Amino acid sequence: MDDTAVTADDVINEITDEPGGDVEVRGLRWFARRAVWVALALFAIFLLITQAKARSTLVTVVIAVAASAGLWIGANLLFNQVRERWTEFSVIAFGIVGALIGIVLHGNQVTVGSGDGILNWILGPIAGGVALAALGFVLSTVDDASKRLTIGIGVGLAIGVAIGALIRSEFYPGLDPAATAIATALGVAVGGVISFLRKRPPLGGILTGAAIGWILGAWGGADFGDGSIVTSIIAAAVPAALIGARIGQTSNPGYVGRAKIDVSARAYIFIGPALLFIFAMLVVPAIRTAYLSVLDRDSEDFVQLDNYRSIFTDRTSFDSANWTDMFTSRLSIIGVVLLGIALVVGIIMKQRTGRAVEVGNPTVGPLVAGFFFVAFGIFTALRGTIINNLWWVVTVTFSATALGLAVAVLADNRKGERFAKSLIFMPMAISLVGASIIWRFVYQARETSKEQTGVLNALWTSLGKLSIGSGLPTLIGAAILGVITLASAAALARALTRQNWGGAALPGIAMLLFGWFFLKYTKILGEGLGGFQTEAVLNDDGEQVGTVATGAAETVLFVQEGPFNNFFLMVIFIWIQTGFAMVILSAAIKAVPTELIEAASMDGATTSQIFWRVTLPQIATTIGVVVTTLIVGVMKVFDIVKVITNGQFDTQVLANDMFQKAFNDGDSGRGAALAILIFLSVLPVMIFNIRKMQKEA
Amino acid sequence: MTKTLSTTPNFSPDGQEGPNGIIDRVYSFLRRIPSGLLWVIVAIWSLPTMGIFVNSFRNRDSQRNSAWWKGLWPGNAGDYTFDNYDQIINARTPIGDSLLNSMAIAIPATIIPIAIAAFAAYGFAWIDFRGRKPLFIATVSLLAIPLQVALIPLLQLFSGGAKLTLPLLDKTITLIPDFGLVGSTTAVWLTHTGFAMPFAIFLLHNYISSLPKDVFEAARIDGAAHFTIFYKLVLPLSIPVLAAFAIFQFLWTWNDFLIANTLVSGNTDQEPTTLLIAKLAGDFGRNENILPAAAFIQSFVPLVVFFSLQKYFVRGLLAGSVKG
Repeated sequence: MDDTAVTADDVINEITDEPGGDVEVRGLRWFARRAVWVALALFAIFLLITQAKARSTLVTVVIAVAASAGLWIGANLLFNQVRERWTEFSVIAFGIVGALIGIVLHGNQVTVGSGDGILNWILGPIAGGVALAALGFVLSTVDDASKRLTIGIGVGLAIGVAIGALIRSEFYPGLDPAATAIATALGVAVGGVISFLRKRPPLGGILTGAAIGWILGAWGGADFGDGSIVTSIIAAAVPAALIGARIGQTSNPGYVGRAKIDVSARAYIFIGPALLFIFAMLVVPAIRTAYLSVLDRDSEDFVQLDNYRSIFTDRTSFDSANWTDMFTSRLSIIGVVLLGIALVVGIIMKQRTGRAVEVGNPTVGPLVAGFFFVAFGIFTALRGTIINNLWWVVTVTFSATALGLAVAVLADNRKGERFAKSLIFMPMAISLVGASIIWRFVYQARETSKEQTGVLNALWTSLGKLSIGSGLPTLIGAAILGVITLASAAALARALTRQNWGGAALPGIAMLLFGWFFLKYTKILGEGLGGFQTEAVLNDDGEQVGTVATGAAETVLFVQEGPFNNFFLMVIFIWIQTGFAMVILSAAIKAVPTELIEAASMDGATTSQIFWRVTLPQIATTIGVVVTTLIVGVMKVFDIVKVITNGQFDTQVLANDMFQKAFNDGDSGRGAALAILIFLSVLPVMIFNIRKMQKEA
Repeated sequence: MTKTLSTTPNFSPDGQEGPNGIIDRVYSFLRRIPSGLLWVIVAIWSLPTMGIFVNSFRNRDSQRNSAWWKGLWPGNAGDYTFDNYDQIINARTPIGDSLLNSMAIAIPATIIPIAIAAFAAYGFAWIDFRGRKPLFIATVSLLAIPLQVALIPLLQLFSGGAKLTLPLLDKTITLIPDFGLVGSTTAVWLTHTGFAMPFAIFLLHNYISSLPKDVFEAARIDGAAHFTIFYKLVLPLSIPVLAAFAIFQFLWTWNDFLIANTLVSGNTDQEPTTLLIAKLAGDFGRNENILPAAAFIQSFVPLVVFFSLQKYFVRGLLAGSVKG
């Protein structure tokens, strides 16, 4: 263990273990943990005995693991022979290649004698394996160059003739000399260029290229069944002889060469399986998606960028019809006012400290709040899928990071830190589907005449009822609101008398907010909190002469009422991601060297100054990591929207739109275009990450 | 912040003398709010989960007609019942089956990537070959790639195999035959294995490459091959990070909805729990009362894993993001 590893471990232990270590408690936990494991094991055994599905899963896993492990270990053992036992290695390696050729030809029933039955099936691989193993054995023992070449060509020719003769008659290729010649010439050129680029003697590349070109031209360019046994033999023997020559013109490597083979082969044995999965599951599909995105809905015709164009012109994905609301909505106005305050405070701070904006400087509060209000003003005026996604990114990324940081700071070195953090972190373990269901119950709204079962609406309606009621509870509510308003006013006054202009901003905002709340509550302003359900008052003829309040406050339809239902969906994701931000930021805060903090406090810095000017700059890179991770996560948010609204009520996001277009509507072109759009939107983050890694590497 | 405040209560953040009057006292009271604020946040964070947990044990009528916190009042103890659990366990598509499907996805999708990624991480860290660095950066840069970008072709692959039409030659080669994997848990865990690779390699590489160099050199001098070093030295030393990744991957695959919904949706026999409860939520009215129970059963396994192995989980999270 080097030093950094040890400190990282210490940090982790600090977060996750009780400090000190109570022996008795730990003993209890030790037993509890063992008990859980034993219970799980017993449960697993019970499942295996009673459930066929559990058994089949186990069999799948065992077979998959054993087969891949066997292949991998086998490959390693094979290349363990390279250095010391070249002959054995050659025999086995050539034999395996031969068997593979046999499997491909015989397995596809191209050769005579293939067919059903295990004995028939293994004939081809065995024959191929034996033939090539013999070649490998001979070549590994002969060192004379001309003899090697002769043997290579001879054996290659013989194998080629044998294959050609054994091909089933319906696969005899009708040789097309022109196609064969062109393909071979192309192969020679490509092979030569590759050899040149790799700075190897060109002959090897030319031979291999010619062989591949010949195979493509003679077999790929021909119609099967048109030829005779002669054409078949020509088509098979020429490339086989070429490859034989390619192998024969090499010499047996010396010890250094064998060591090189060992190392480079080993690299690909170790990395190969992972690369295979990455290519098959990520890279190739991603390229194909890009290709599909320029085809039409059935992937038949090339439509250029129509799919992308339709995304941006579609009303559902980008709707700017009400763009003027951006300037007139209450949110924007509040935001602009806050930004104005920020400007004033900034000018004052510039005069006092020489810096208009700085972390921890009072300009930041109104600036951030103003930015948020303006952003919300914009996002509620412009509508559509793309705007929703942007709104998600801005809100979730900022809120989760800020809340995570707040909790990390609040909990730091406090009693019950571990417990508090565990509870905040817990939503990370719950699936997004589960979380959506949990929050659906929180947001539930029922008819106003009935009891509310959702927490938020219950709170809201009871506040409303209190507000329009009379008696002691209403008075107490008014008193609490009044006290809070007065307290914020007091804080404001204190800050103002001390000429701490920045410190005045927060209490000022709080005072306005609670004051407005208080006035609404006490019915000085409007009809009371929460609105009313009104009932028409009818005269004897059934005409409406007025309305009367029935007293029940109206519920908020959190999920259905746009555009803020989007925000309530974001809350769920914030609920989950705050734990993530908290854990990482908390570790970063604990890693800030104590000497720095001590030095700052010796110099007379206050705790808040220490936080803003020492701690925060120290964890800035970590905040960057959290933010980029969150952006990537939010851009592809899917589950929450799918489960709660499925994109209805103007809550569509790109990922859900992509799913609907591609898999429900069967429009693979549009779906692929949306997928590529999601990819493009996280591309900056990917580039940023690559840059960072290159710097570190 | 408040740590200083609690030891010296009259400390004021401006560094001036206090207290001088009611305003300062009110202010210092306000300054102490953070310690309460933490617990307020914790309470808010736990309430939603608590609500669903309580409701899962209440009978249909009381769930419908009264709020869950009313169930905690002493007079309402009679509302409690196991009926919801009974109903979801013995339903026509019982949750037991979907739990088994979830395991059939999550277990292979956890074990197999660990092995493959450990090989690759060792290869990238300790085997010297040409193009190692660019290849590693290319691999790890795929960390942030959104899964959506691969979903359509993957569904096509699993439902029809992969074919390649050679340009100019007009011959179609079957690269991968149709194994009929669509609608099976196998397709899901294979996909998870591929998607997990970049992160797994990144995480394990961070750890394996920081193992002390001397050990490897000594072993190489003794003539040990890479294979021997890998399974005799590296694997045992890497247990903590392997555990961290295992928990990560297990939670992620158990909780996954997108991939399962794409590849097995419609085949009720093979659907994991996330699909089951999403479906239950789809016909909200009818199954309203069993939904909390189902959601709780679905979350039970990850919660147990999470709380018993939180240390490793946090370790993985930190190694995965802070070091990067």
